Amino acid sequence: MSEPAPQRPPPAPLFGAGGTALYRAALGVVALSLLGAATAVFAYFHAPWWTRVGYAEDQPVLFSHRHHVGELHIDCRFCHSSVEHSAFAGLPPTETCLTCHSQVFTDTAMLRPVVASAERGRPLRWQAVTRLPDHVYFDHSIHIAKGVGCTTCHGEVGQMALLAKAERVDMRWCVDCHRNPARALRPRDEVFEADWHPPADQEQRGRALMAAYHINTTFLTDCNTCHR
Amino acid sequence: MPPLNPLRPADEFPAGASDPPDAIGRRDFLRLAGASAALAGLSGCGPPAKTLAPYVVQPESIIPGKAAYYATAMPWEGYARGLVAEAHEGRPTKLEGNPEAAESLGATDAQTQASVLSLYDPDRSRSPRRGGFPASWDAFEAEWGARRQALAAKGGAGLALLAEPTTSPTFRREMRRLLERLPRARWYQHTALARYDRNGRQADAAVGEADLIFAIGSDFLISHPAALRYARDFARRRRSRGGARANRLYVAEAALTVTGSMADHRLPILPGRLAALLAAIDGGETAGLPAAEREFASRLRADLARHGGRALCLAGPEQEGHVQEWAAKCNARSGSARLAWDGPALRSDADPGSAGGLRELAGALEAGEVSDLVILGCNPVYTGAPGADFAERLADAAFTVHLGSYADETGVLCGWHLPESHYLEAWGDLLGYGGQALIQQPLIDPLYSSRSAAEMVRFLADGMAAPGYDLVRETWRAAAGKDFEGRWAGWLNRGVVDDGTRLPAPPVSAAGGRPEQAAPAGGGLTLLFRPDPNLGDGRWSNNAWLQELPRPFTTLVWDNAACLSPDLAGRLGVREGDVIELSCGGRRISAPVALARGQADGCVVVHFGGGRTAAGGVGNGRGFDAYRLRPGEGVWRAEGLEIRPTGAWQRLVFTQHHFAMDGRDLARWTEPGGRAAPAEPDRGSLFPPWPRPGHAWAMSIDLASCIGCNACVAACQAENNIPVVGPEEAFRGREMHWIRIARYFEGEGSGLRVAALPLPCMHCENAPCELVCPVGATVHSSEGLNQMIYNRCVGTRYCSNNCPYKVRRFNFFDYRAPADSPVHLQQNPNVTVRQRGVMEKCTYCVQRIDEARIAAEVAGRALRDGDIRTACQQACPAEAIVFGDLADPQSAVSRRKREEGDYGLLTDLNTRPRTTYLPKLSNPAPLA
Repeated sequence: MSEPAPQRPPPAPLFGAGGTALYRAALGVVALSLLGAATAVFAYFHAPWWTRVGYAEDQPVLFSHRHHVGELHIDCRFCHSSVEHSAFAGLPPTETCLTCHSQVFTDTAMLRPVVASAERGRPLRWQAVTRLPDHVYFDHSIHIAKGVGCTTCHGEVGQMALLAKAERVDMRWCVDCHRNPARALRPRDEVFEADWHPPADQEQRGRALMAAYHINTTFLTDCNTCHR
Repeated sequence: MPPLNPLRPADEFPAGASDPPDAIGRRDFLRLAGASAALAGLSGCGPPAKTLAPYVVQPESIIPGKAAYYATAMPWEGYARGLVAEAHEGRPTKLEGNPEAAESLGATDAQTQASVLSLYDPDRSRSPRRGGFPASWDAFEAEWGARRQALAAKGGAGLALLAEPTTSPTFRREMRRLLERLPRARWYQHTALARYDRNGRQADAAVGEADLIFAIGSDFLISHPAALRYARDFARRRRSRGGARANRLYVAEAALTVTGSMADHRLPILPGRLAALLAAIDGGETAGLPAAEREFASRLRADLARHGGRALCLAGPEQEGHVQEWAAKCNARSGSARLAWDGPALRSDADPGSAGGLRELAGALEAGEVSDLVILGCNPVYTGAPGADFAERLADAAFTVHLGSYADETGVLCGWHLPESHYLEAWGDLLGYGGQALIQQPLIDPLYSSRSAAEMVRFLADGMAAPGYDLVRETWRAAAGKDFEGRWAGWLNRGVVDDGTRLPAPPVSAAGGRPEQAAPAGGGLTLLFRPDPNLGDGRWSNNAWLQELPRPFTTLVWDNAACLSPDLAGRLGVREGDVIELSCGGRRISAPVALARGQADGCVVVHFGGGRTAAGGVGNGRGFDAYRLRPGEGVWRAEGLEIRPTGAWQRLVFTQHHFAMDGRDLARWTEPGGRAAPAEPDRGSLFPPWPRPGHAWAMSIDLASCIGCNACVAACQAENNIPVVGPEEAFRGREMHWIRIARYFEGEGSGLRVAALPLPCMHCENAPCELVCPVGATVHSSEGLNQMIYNRCVGTRYCSNNCPYKVRRFNFFDYRAPADSPVHLQQNPNVTVRQRGVMEKCTYCVQRIDEARIAAEVAGRALRDGDIRTACQQACPAEAIVFGDLADPQSAVSRRKREEGDYGLLTDLNTRPRTTYLPKLSNPAPLA
């Protein structure tokens, strides 16, 4: 009978007494940072930084809608002339600016890019304020024809010295209105009013207008209404 | 060798059908993927900016975002095809037929549809070249100025011009003007294609009034200057439920053509046997004929006697003189001269000022009579028969100039190559086959520094350039008399000169008919030359749409082949794709074999358009050059052909591999007064019934009218930004056409029945594709459209696997042209350009539905039947396709669908397709 082999002392534990707590804390940190990352991504794409709501883009000319629309009451269609006829509302060609500005403020610094554009035959290059992805086929003319006013989507441009994006213009925003257009509809002669505000009974009036305009919301939420 | 079965190939699903193309291996792919991920990281801050640049001075006619339409005309073998071109912000994107034009009637063909792509072809010639090096028009003008003076001193002796025959009054006027100023100059004309004149006259026909049509080797439904009118007239007498109005078509031809596929009685026959057949039809002496010919002749003879004055006989322009004469005699004898008549030739082939064809020019070059040769818009080095040795003859002229859209085989051999304007870039005028004059109005300024042929002739004559606009107006000002400006505006508006203004008839010479035919020699096989159904004489070889458009019946794409009947191939022991050597008259070429059903035994058909060496990036090296075998200009048949298998094999790409219906009634047939198949039992459905309130879009295709010409396929490609995938990808079955024409064959020999089945998306009410999409990227609209939403699609391809009709197409790769390619200018801004990894399919042209609906609602009216026409429907010359609202019982589509015999495909699957068919009509002669 042999001596039992001397037992080796057990190895020192890899983790001390606080190991479990540390592990739980680490798990917590990982969970929190994942949540934080998700929140950050969510916030990023919902922040005005991404949606551009309220941001005024750098434009080649310091053009004031407040002055031209709010103070001078120039009709939207004077410059955005194809809004009733085409998908694209139209940007004024330089010669439209010169209708007045060949007479007024002709030699101001603010107007210099416009004059240069006309002289050199080079277009002004504006930054788009409201942008849609390429797979969205938005049509201005049908919205005008169905009583959706300009300011409903573009905001109170008559108050904006520098034009800023007013709405997020994401798909939910579009579909919200396509599901229930009543809150945005106006009589046709008020479509271009820059200081239009919904009357107290807009829901009711809107529903009456929907019937008058033959608006069928079933069709309005079909994918092919906006995507082709 | 296993038995040949042309209808059921062994390799229906080719190997590698799910592999990436060889061009990008796994390592390349990972490298590219890594690079693009890195680049994506660099540009990822904030949404992309978008710049808007309005006009400085906005053109009056342009409303940004709205298409503008202009009438114009396209030359087709020198004759006019009247068009309405759609332009977006000044760039033409799509062509439609002009309803005012007598030879298009609002319809188009595949080549017309594809011609807009050639405008933006990146391989087009962009600047003049001298000796292969870039040069300028100024340099050419200076050089020509000196040469012109020397020529003028000799009255133009030594100057030769070679042009394609044309009907353009302005071009012919300019040419006459040049010949007046330089009377000793010579004008030669060359075309590798058919001549439609005979003794200074050209024949026309009232196809719609004939009860019986006998076509002798004539593909008049697709390959003729008046083909669109003929097809329309023919199809109007050919509706599924046409009843007693149905016409009857007899066809005797060597190789199956589109016209032949519509025949009620079709006889595959070698051209050498035609004389005996025609004599038998005349004399009734059928004793010596084989059984099939005997039956055909006696049946036709009896039928001709029965139909008397309402029988029409049409001989193809490729047919020999005796056939042409027989056809004319037959029409005169049966009293149907009012159905077939002739008038003075409109194309310049028969112009007395013309000095002849390529053979005469080659002779003059060899004799040293030509010092200055100017080639206008043709490519004789390629299309000339090798007998003329034209490439060598070019060296006999001291000064050679080539005006052409491409620096092609001729352009690279000439001292000067000058870019020619595309027809959408230049002013011109043309005559339709019936004589109607059309103004060819440009849609866009020349993209490159190019000129039209008429402008070039004016410059050659005067040494001073004049704009084509002035030349055309000069021609017509004289004819218009009073109020020219008012009339001119009207002509441009409608595209046709329709107010009675007439130009003096061009001079016609009755002498100098068609070129001689090859003398038939005994022994061996017969070799037949034909223009390619897509590529013509090779002028469309660099057009990727036409290269990838399946040839009728073989469905061959991207290459041409020697077409043999399956029996002949079996006797020779060759299979599809085997390379054989064809030798004939001392010339030989190698070509792969394609099996052609319905072809007469003992002949081989070769098509022009292949084997190009200087066509451009698309056309170079595709197929073989059939001109190398041709004995001469205007020769369509050669005898004594010998075939030797070489043992080599070439991969040919077909888009359809299975031509048998296997007992399923995919294409149905009916006869006048025949009973329709009983209506399908309603199988019930768990889904709510259609139609629901609102519109219900649907389509009906009448197979009795459909001639299977492929115009719809090409029109869909142009309308819907459908990419081409190239031969490698097409071989793997990845072609992208949203509508295809499935072909089915039944029977053999003279009993062959052919069906062409246009297959767009069926827009099933119970769509199997929708049930399996995990992301809801394909769902139904409230109006019954099976919608495809690209931005949701993640590319699982489940939908395609679950589609019983196989109409869904997947973007395995990014098939878009490179970013700097001008091809993008062709694209329709109202249709999404799909990216890699998404499924796509026919949308019933939803952009057109939306556009028409918005236009109607903005105008404050309801949508009317006919407001919406899909691209395939609009292009169809036979009016086979009808689209509309099923919820409106009075709409054209509802009426069609109520007709007896209306059926859907594979309805036993209970898919309830919105696209349905009417059976194909067969109207055989009653047995005598």
